[in-house]
Amino acid sequence: MTLFLASDVFSHYAPIGVLILIAAGFGVGNLILTSVIGPHRQGAIKSMVYECGVDPIGSARKRFNVRFYIVAMAFLIFDVEIVFLYPWAVTFSSLGQGSELAPLFLGRMFFFVLTSVIAFAYAWRKGVFRYD
Amino acid sequence: MHQMTEKLLTLWPELVMLIGACACLLVGLSPSASTRKGPAWVAALTLITAAHLVIFSNAFNPDPLHGHGALAVQLDTVSFIKLAIIAVGLLLLMVASQVPDRLRQTIDAEQRAQRGAPFETGDALNGEFFAFFLFSLTGAMLCAGARDLVWLFLALELTSLPTYVMVAIARDRADAQEAAVKYFFLGAMAAAVFLYGFTLIYGATGYTQYDQIITYIHTLTAQGTPVSPLFIAGIVLAIVGVSFKIAAVPMHFYAADVYQGAATPVTAFLAFVPKTAGFIALLGLLSLAAPLGYTQLQPITWLLWTMAVLTMTVGNILGLLQNNVKRVLAYSSIAHSGYMLVGLIAAHAAATHPDAAPAQNALGNGTAALLFYLVAYGLATLGAFAVLGCVTHKGDEAQTFDDIAGLGRRHPMLGAVMLLSVLSLVGLPPMVGFLGKIYLFGSAFQHGFVWLVVIAVLNSAVSAVYYLRIIGACYFSQPNDDTQAIPVPARRIGAAVAALAALALGIAGNQLVDAVNDATITTTDDTQTVPAPTRHVSTNW
Repeated sequence: MTLFLASDVFSHYAPIGVLILIAAGFGVGNLILTSVIGPHRQGAIKSMVYECGVDPIGSARKRFNVRFYIVAMAFLIFDVEIVFLYPWAVTFSSLGQGSELAPLFLGRMFFFVLTSVIAFAYAWRKGVFRYD
Repeated sequence: MHQMTEKLLTLWPELVMLIGACACLLVGLSPSASTRKGPAWVAALTLITAAHLVIFSNAFNPDPLHGHGALAVQLDTVSFIKLAIIAVGLLLLMVASQVPDRLRQTIDAEQRAQRGAPFETGDALNGEFFAFFLFSLTGAMLCAGARDLVWLFLALELTSLPTYVMVAIARDRADAQEAAVKYFFLGAMAAAVFLYGFTLIYGATGYTQYDQIITYIHTLTAQGTPVSPLFIAGIVLAIVGVSFKIAAVPMHFYAADVYQGAATPVTAFLAFVPKTAGFIALLGLLSLAAPLGYTQLQPITWLLWTMAVLTMTVGNILGLLQNNVKRVLAYSSIAHSGYMLVGLIAAHAAATHPDAAPAQNALGNGTAALLFYLVAYGLATLGAFAVLGCVTHKGDEAQTFDDIAGLGRRHPMLGAVMLLSVLSLVGLPPMVGFLGKIYLFGSAFQHGFVWLVVIAVLNSAVSAVYYLRIIGACYFSQPNDDTQAIPVPARRIGAAVAALAALALGIAGNQLVDAVNDATITTTDDTQTVPAPTRHVSTNW
């Protein structure tokens, strides 16, 4: 009985369970695929921990370009925008035809997108996207 | 949902401030050199517009008590706080004028641009500085309207995050970087503490909206069910965390270092804006617990009592030991938080006593006293810091008593502003600080906190020693030849206006006091019309 109740309560988490399975399957599947069909050429650089990253030998307090942070922050502008746009787009259609809240919701999203555009314009002018 | 629309309509001032901040960012990066000087003007225009919007939206308040019909516009508490923040914000803006312009980085970049090289936008800080200035003020204004824990958290962080950057960029010394890093990490820790408190409150009640939490606690007390201890723990954590913003005792350690390291105009900003936001947040948080009643809230009152006593005593004693005027003023700022906590305790006691009648005059209304004192303290401390910001010593900021020696003789106007500001901080009669302290301590006295008032008055007497040292250095020492005034007219005008306002409000402050009192009364529960004795001595705290 308790088990039945529990399954009832948690059944709406099923999609998340499936998502976890897919995610784990994607990771494990790719590992298996590379070991089966990969070319298996070994070499000094090839067998390092990070093939194309920081050299794992020597001091860990290595300097690297501050631009990495700036690019990460510029990425955040768009990342956050998308994160907000998706749920907004999903719920907006449920407002119904001719709802008086629709202009408000649309206006808010315009305001939000505008702030991202300003952030982008600012970053551009500030020279964030100059890689020289 | 309709509530949300109405809520949004009351947010026009904040929206305008955000738009103004974005405009500052863009104007500061303009290709034309004269436009690049614009952000300060954009910020001033934004603040003035926001002030008009606050008054305008207040005039169209649906509440009949202060609506269309009223001859004089009567403010509600939130509008009053917003207007106070904008008014002091305008003075702070004048004090902060030319801060980014005078940085070596900006001067070099502008000189290169004048010689025909393309302007290096990466070196421009004009837009950023004033944008963050406006963002922080917006956060403080949002705190005033916060009726939800999540909202309050975001507003508090919007107040604080820009100040970390302002500390770091406004002065080209390693001290400023150090101050910014200290301030940032300790601020993040404090945010974690009060956010943890908020989650406990949410966990104990199941709501984040103030009204729902208050209704829930009301229902519990009506049924006689004890409230979860988690709720009290949450309130305590929230109080302790927010005490970082007001620089009160368990969280005061950063104040001296950060105030010293930051550029002086930024220090003036730090001394007013986060403190105002913190006290307003505390007023809101204490209102959540108020339905529990006086006896159940004794631990909270004790906590506030201890914090108040420790804050003013620690602030004043450490203030006596300093040789750096900025550090003295930092400890004075801590001590003043202690005085304001006295008013907060009175407000708290008034809210928790069910038989308490709304105070008929400002004396006895702790909330009004606190809000009035915030303005009084803001004006005085702003004047003092602005004077320090108007002089340099060997190319660096004037900071020590030696640096400002003889300031009053060399620069009579700066000396006079310093004198008036310091007298107001001491709390001497013609100044607004005196009036403010009367209301603060008087309201606590009316609620029976006799010992607290005695300690506060003793503390004020002790503080006079280091305040008089500042006056002594200004007027009775050999002038220091290495100290020079810098040509920033707006900063001087801001300082002078603050000092004159402190004097004028001290002489004719009744108007403002009455306005604050009306503001706090009209938003409290108006059903209590039966006059009852305002004095209810329960214990001698």
